Amino acid sequence: MSKANQTPENKFSVRKLLSHPVMSYLLAILAAFVASGIFIALMGYDPFKAFQTILVTSFRTPNGFIQTLLKWVPLTLLALAFTVPYATMKFNIGGEGQLLMGAIGATIAGILLKGLPPILMVPAVLLAGTLAGAIWGFIPGWLLYRYKINEILTTVLLNFVTFALVNYIATEVYPNPEVGHPTTIRIATEGWLPMLVDNPPLHSGLILMVMVAIGVYAFTNRSTRGYELVATGANPRAAGVFGINVPVMFMMGLVIGGALAGLAGGIEVAGIQHHLIEGMHSNFKILGIIIGLIAKGSSLAVPFVAFFIAVMEVGASAMQRTLNIPIEMVYIVEALILLFVLLVDVVRRK
Amino acid sequence: MEQNEVILQMVDICKAFDGNQALDHVNFELGAREIHGLLGGNGAGKTTLMNVLYGLYKQDSGDILLKGKKLRIASPRDAIRNGIGMVHQHFLQINNWSVVQNVVLGSSVQNKWTMNLAPEVAKLQKLCDRFAIDIDLQVEVGELPMGTRQKVEILKALYRGVDILILDEPTTNLTPQEVDALFVSLKVMVDEGLSIVFITHKLREVLSVCDRITLLRNGKNVTCMPRSEANEETLVRGMVGEDLNVKDSVIFSKEIREGTKIDEVVTPVLEVKGLRHVTEQGIERLKDVTFSIHPGEIFGIAGVAGNGQLELAETLVGVQSKAGGTIKYNGRELNMVTAELLQQGLTYIPEDRLGDGYLPKVNVAQNLILGAQHKQPYSKNGFIDWRKVFEASWEMIKEYNIKTSGPKDTAANLSGGNIQRVMIARAFSHVGDSLMLAHCPTRGLDIPSMDFVYKKLLARKMQGYATLLISEDLDELLLLCDRIGVMYRGELVGILHRSQFDKYEIGRMMSGVKS
Ligand SMILES: Nc1ncnc2c1ncn2[C@@H]1O[C@H](COP(=O)(O)OP(=O)(O)OP(=O)(O)O)[C@@H](O)[C@H]1O
Ligand SMILES: [Mg+2]
Repeated sequence: MSKANQTPENKFSVRKLLSHPVMSYLLAILAAFVASGIFIALMGYDPFKAFQTILVTSFRTPNGFIQTLLKWVPLTLLALAFTVPYATMKFNIGGEGQLLMGAIGATIAGILLKGLPPILMVPAVLLAGTLAGAIWGFIPGWLLYRYKINEILTTVLLNFVTFALVNYIATEVYPNPEVGHPTTIRIATEGWLPMLVDNPPLHSGLILMVMVAIGVYAFTNRSTRGYELVATGANPRAAGVFGINVPVMFMMGLVIGGALAGLAGGIEVAGIQHHLIEGMHSNFKILGIIIGLIAKGSSLAVPFVAFFIAVMEVGASAMQRTLNIPIEMVYIVEALILLFVLLVDVVRRK
Repeated sequence: MEQNEVILQMVDICKAFDGNQALDHVNFELGAREIHGLLGGNGAGKTTLMNVLYGLYKQDSGDILLKGKKLRIASPRDAIRNGIGMVHQHFLQINNWSVVQNVVLGSSVQNKWTMNLAPEVAKLQKLCDRFAIDIDLQVEVGELPMGTRQKVEILKALYRGVDILILDEPTTNLTPQEVDALFVSLKVMVDEGLSIVFITHKLREVLSVCDRITLLRNGKNVTCMPRSEANEETLVRGMVGEDLNVKDSVIFSKEIREGTKIDEVVTPVLEVKGLRHVTEQGIERLKDVTFSIHPGEIFGIAGVAGNGQLELAETLVGVQSKAGGTIKYNGRELNMVTAELLQQGLTYIPEDRLGDGYLPKVNVAQNLILGAQHKQPYSKNGFIDWRKVFEASWEMIKEYNIKTSGPKDTAANLSGGNIQRVMIARAFSHVGDSLMLAHCPTRGLDIPSMDFVYKKLLARKMQGYATLLISEDLDELLLLCDRIGVMYRGELVGILHRSQFDKYEIGRMMSGVKS
């Protein structure tokens, strides 16, 4: 008798646990750590030390913390560049390229506009980056709108175009011959982002990023246009039947996504690099997409997930330095987190 | 009828979703060669119970016994292996695949790698002949009418060799002729040894084909009775308790209503002249359609599904473009560029609720404001006032009796009939100023909800609003309309005034005989 009554009770509570979003994340992260821990142990390292390094480095020294914040800025923007078009169920795989376009735009503006006062120069540099990224989002958007060409294809292909473009600008247009690696000359100091902390250096792009993230959240979750974006993604046919201009929504998502990634590139140039340098995107790779997917497309969750990933990325370098564990281990952990987040969803559905 | 051997028992099944008890100790039993009707109001738990049997949901407690042996069904694959097949209320097919391809998809065909389908075609043809299913196996399913696509699903189950077939509201999308054909097939199936679970809201169907009837209400058993003991009254009572006041209802009313006198001087709300529509393939789907709707009028469009009704609705809404003719709204001619009529205040209840009207992944409130997202009080200065939206949603949920945990519930959780109630609530709550286009508005609704919709439609009319009611249910049209236009092959073959209504005459016109 009591047995029969117990079963549903138990199952019910497990399911309830899983259905709580924060719990499901913690569970997924735990599972990912356990799984990769086993892997690290098999490779002959100490998994506890490894995870300790990964998780604690960011908070042990001011330098580590600022490193983390500096990673957090572009990661958040890149993830939002993925989630905004993803709201319409369009996949922006071109965040890298859009970031580089942003960097190109910012660099060119920073070189050409030499002589302007900082109050005009800084916004101009960032705006140039944002616009360049937006154009890189507009092209796939327009090809989709006009010729129904798949955006995954075009955004990926545009990445390659950008790699070549960066190379060209860094070696032919504004080369800095003093450096052995394809790099442009520096932008005018008036275009540099003001610093929040001088040593270790932390630029004010952080504040801008937080504001933009709040803005994106307000846009997607509170505004009427944002609602239309979400409705389009939920069922484009129904959205169209009820008067929403669906192709325009697709395009809008991609343009905003491109602009956000472009801004990330602009901030990198104006805040950290101060010039365009070949390969500068390699710090981010497809992390924006991974963060966006772990956040399940929620622009509210993105900054939090991005911060966590930033912590892991900073920890990963320390882990490689002190424990000799290859940095790639962290990518495995990140991928596993994504996998388990998705798995929890599947388990919960029954 | 002799007592058949019991082949399937579901005992004390419980299933809760996030605290909402969808099934509460439900028992169900199926005999060999039996057609067993499963009845109950919207959200009673019919689909959930059968999803448990089909392995889509796992019950929290309770047992499933097949021929007396306890069975664990963890997935549809398990179910099919045990001879249980299901045709869903909303099924999925691959539109640009042929019937054969759709049927064979996902089954363990011998020549999986070569995709040589010739032997399968022969097998399927045999099945079709045996079960009196009339279907062309080589056409793409996207081109087929709903009724035939339903048959494809049934064929899928038969092909997998099931001996228990679950049909979840198979008749909602069928024309009366198709329903008759389906019933013939069902009879053959039981003669051949199958058992069938048949879910429907239509009492007449239950009373004409089912051997036994199980009634659910709010996730609990009410009764199980043989057909001989059932009649409309007992079934309605059983399903809804005392909720339906038969005296007050529109459906059971004996009152004779006169059609609205049309004042020819008043400008019609909608005036359609010579409307044509041609598909991308060059097929003419609307030919010279002309009619007008006046304030306070319900204008019905009757016809067998697939005779241009969908094209008419979609041309008016602006989803498809017209090839000729004029559309005037309150006397002003429209260009029909992107959803112009919608912006002018047309409210629309689409026929295909899941495809054309629903956003399953988002919440109920987001669904309730679709199409009204720019309007007061939901939207202000480009931002949505979610507090207002939630307040309004709660009101709609109450008024339209939508069974859900609240505005934040994921829309996909709602039962078929409750999704339809969302369509209804949305259309009636954001009254554009004067015109409603309702395409099969009561599809999938239980009887009290249907009655509720009828009352709402008549109330609109009393307030002087105009309605275009496209329906395949002739009884519904006869009950509500002031005039009925009959469509046949894209043409309006005649328009009858209420005083001229005659079921048989309209039936004849529906098959193409001009009046
Ligand atoms: N996956 C789910 N998650 C949460 N709630 C659900 C889910 N599936 C069904 N429900 C709820 O369970 C109840 C029963 O739903 P069910 O679909 O079985 O109704 P039904 O009898 O088939 O109704 P209808 O006639 O409208 O199709 C409803 O209140 C519904 O909201
Ligand atoms: Mg159902």
